Amino acid sequence: MFSPLPEKLWDRNLAAHLLDRAGFGGTPADIDSLVLMGPGKAVDSFIHADDDGDLFPKPQMLMPAERLVYKQREKAATTEEQRREIRKELGNEEYTSMLNLRLWWLNRMRYTAAPLQEKATLFWHGHFATSNAKVNDSYMMWQQNETLRRYALGKFPDMLKAMSRDPAMIRWLDLGQSRKDHPNENFAREVMELFSLGEGHYTEKDIQESAKAFTGYRIDYQTGYFRFQEKDFDPGTKTFFDKSGPFTGDDIIDAIVAQPQCARFIGKKLWVFFVSENPPEETITGIAELLLSNGYDIGATLATIFSSADFYSPHAVHHQIKSPVQWIMQTTKMLEIPLPDARVLENSLAALGQVVFAPPNVKGWDGGRAWISASSLLYRYNMAAYLLSGKARILGGGNTKTAIIPLETIAPASVRSGSDQLLDHLSFRLFNYPLQTKDRATYLTYLEKHPVPYSNDTVRDLMQIMMSTPDYQLT
Amino acid sequence: MKSPKEQSLHTRRDFLRTSVLGGALAYTVPLFLEKTFLCLDTMAAASPGQITTGKDGTILVVLQLAGGNDGINTLVPFGDDAYYKARPKIALPKADILRISDYAGLHPKLTGIHDLYSQGHLGMIQGVGYPNPNRSHFRSTEIWQTASDADRNVAEGWLGRYFDNCCQGSDPSSVGVAIGGQTPQAFASSTPKGVAFSNPEQFRYMSEAASDPNSADMFMRQMNQPTDANHSSLSENSGGSIGMLSGPSDNDGSTVEFLQRTALGAEMSSDKILAITRKTKSTVDYPASQLGNSLNLVARLIAGGLPTRVYYVSQGGFDTHANQLPSHERLMNDLSTATSSFVQDLKAQGNFNRVLMISFSEFGRRVSENASGGTDHGAAAPLFVMGGGVKPGLYGNYPSLTDLHDGDLKFSTDFRSVYATALEKWLGAPSEMVLGKKYPLLPFI
Repeated sequence: MFSPLPEKLWDRNLAAHLLDRAGFGGTPADIDSLVLMGPGKAVDSFIHADDDGDLFPKPQMLMPAERLVYKQREKAATTEEQRREIRKELGNEEYTSMLNLRLWWLNRMRYTAAPLQEKATLFWHGHFATSNAKVNDSYMMWQQNETLRRYALGKFPDMLKAMSRDPAMIRWLDLGQSRKDHPNENFAREVMELFSLGEGHYTEKDIQESAKAFTGYRIDYQTGYFRFQEKDFDPGTKTFFDKSGPFTGDDIIDAIVAQPQCARFIGKKLWVFFVSENPPEETITGIAELLLSNGYDIGATLATIFSSADFYSPHAVHHQIKSPVQWIMQTTKMLEIPLPDARVLENSLAALGQVVFAPPNVKGWDGGRAWISASSLLYRYNMAAYLLSGKARILGGGNTKTAIIPLETIAPASVRSGSDQLLDHLSFRLFNYPLQTKDRATYLTYLEKHPVPYSNDTVRDLMQIMMSTPDYQLT
Repeated sequence: MKSPKEQSLHTRRDFLRTSVLGGALAYTVPLFLEKTFLCLDTMAAASPGQITTGKDGTILVVLQLAGGNDGINTLVPFGDDAYYKARPKIALPKADILRISDYAGLHPKLTGIHDLYSQGHLGMIQGVGYPNPNRSHFRSTEIWQTASDADRNVAEGWLGRYFDNCCQGSDPSSVGVAIGGQTPQAFASSTPKGVAFSNPEQFRYMSEAASDPNSADMFMRQMNQPTDANHSSLSENSGGSIGMLSGPSDNDGSTVEFLQRTALGAEMSSDKILAITRKTKSTVDYPASQLGNSLNLVARLIAGGLPTRVYYVSQGGFDTHANQLPSHERLMNDLSTATSSFVQDLKAQGNFNRVLMISFSEFGRRVSENASGGTDHGAAAPLFVMGGGVKPGLYGNYPSLTDLHDGDLKFSTDFRSVYATALEKWLGAPSEMVLGKKYPLLPFI
């Protein structure tokens, strides 16, 4: 179904497309090294990148044992005043803990040599859409993040089972209180609606019955891990998808993934995230067949997608609106600067609509055009100005220092004496894509007004203009 | 009297004269943007300092209670033993209820809303819902936002269709403002309508960051000018967009065109909104919550004379599956105090009679509490309508707590009747064009 991209078409634009979609972009040098590899090896370098997790040691977080100490102190406290004080202390620690965790992940995305692993982890985070707003335990959120990473390019059924036992998920969808005589339906509903089948492919009865199979799933607060509480589990007969038996939660998941609809649902979501919106029917069918035939092997499926001619189609390349996280990663990589100040990062991701570990609701981020409102678009433009000069007053940006942009590397002296030369040079770095004729003419008009060789101010201002465009929002 | 056409040409000239964009756009406005202009030019034409009077247009404020508000603990059927039987842990004590009738009353924290009732400004419509209720947040929110039947997927929002149908001709001042980071799906339409922002001070282009701000500003604007619809080299696949329903529909030209239109709208409205919010202050204290801030902002925009007729605000956190008593109490308190401040503010401005506020939530919650001291997703629920033009009281009957459908209250009023009433009787718009068919109007206005 997916014919591979003919090797002779492989060029800088297509290599950049792979780098942007399978990862978070990079510099012209990064792109050129992919060009040299050829498409096969280039795709392979993403799928089989070495895990460099040891470079990103576990963030400083409030651990389960420490949390228990707070709980014990709260219990032992004699006045409501004291209890409030202890809760406040815990709240502050938890807040710092969450900031550390978020920064840890964003830096891992920014610097890892295995960017697809992080990109896929981000995809699954949006898919399972668990928010610390309810979980309120950064250690659990970190555990979930590690679980998503472990299975990100593995087998989806394994991941779904792992997520049913994931403490953050258990709290997020109220599984921890679900017991034999009172099954809670929240997880049973969402596991089908949001995680595997989509609305309309199961009945209310299926939800009520499968909820019984997910009873007894608990969090062990001593360790912060999952535990199974036998006495709360309903071992009785459940009727699910027209079959009856003493099903467990894992049995339910096996029955769900056996539905061809599950492969279609997951396949379409993968395609929309990595390739393009509104895939045609035959594409969904193709990717679903692939998933069913390889046992939902996500890495293998992505390898096929990234090698296919469809992935490099003109309808896909430079047609996706960057998510806020993608925008920040691609921008800082392209500018060769570190991530901005933590406060700026925190506030900006909120203003742009993508706070990791805090998706807006159970269905995650809508993506695509929903990233763009009048205000978020203006914020992107201002964020670019802030990163370039430090002078735009964006949220949290007061009294922060911005990194110095290596303008001599980005626009070396050799390209500063001709407008065409400078423009070609900058546009490849910024857009990874050829300029439209009309845009090119406007930028040239701008450059004509400035003396050669172009000064740092001219280069920086031009970059600010280039980044304040619809074009720059695309990848 | 000017004909609608003359009037729009006139305001369009005004806009081009007064706009921050100056003459730059006058010769490049593509045809497909005309409709957007008809909406936005009125905003530009109005003087920011103008204090509006009761003679000006009516305003609709839509308040979304996101997550599925527990309607039963909001308008409480305290006169029914079945209520206390179904909710042994979370039923509210009879003595605390703010009584409306011998059967139903408001949550004890809704004192401000109860005051509104006493003053004759609150309507409570009971048992609002739709056939074949859906208990998914995603899907049910979508149904409310698009006013579609439960078994149909519609991409455009009901307010978006109102803008499309009514935002032209003699009264083009009907663009919407949503307070929040993302444009609500209710606004989604074939062309970008309305703006969304949470803080007006961030809602502007900061060209001063460049070493040559004037030139950065000029070229930024030039780079964001809409191209002709035929100009783009590739337009997107335009299949159905299931799964992406909360974004604008995709039969709307290319993504680049979408971004250009958004940028243009942002430039034009940012100037106007900033001028107003910098000048206008509330004389009333609002609670320091997201809802309080949002309603404060809406009040200032109304005071400043923004001719917008539709505002959209939201309050989140209503998905109370576990230990719901304290969290729901906080939500009710916030809702009540923020609404109360908003009403005082509008009254002080002399604008209270122009404003109708409708609250909605994607669904109510199950009649019986769950084992976690919370409630699971349900169906029908009561809905509030508030404002100077509202006829107060209870509408419809409280649904039976024992004659249930799948454990949930049965609906008696279709939510689209509420929309139709607001459209016809408040905004003066033909509801059938917006909602696709005639729904019976309700007597709350």
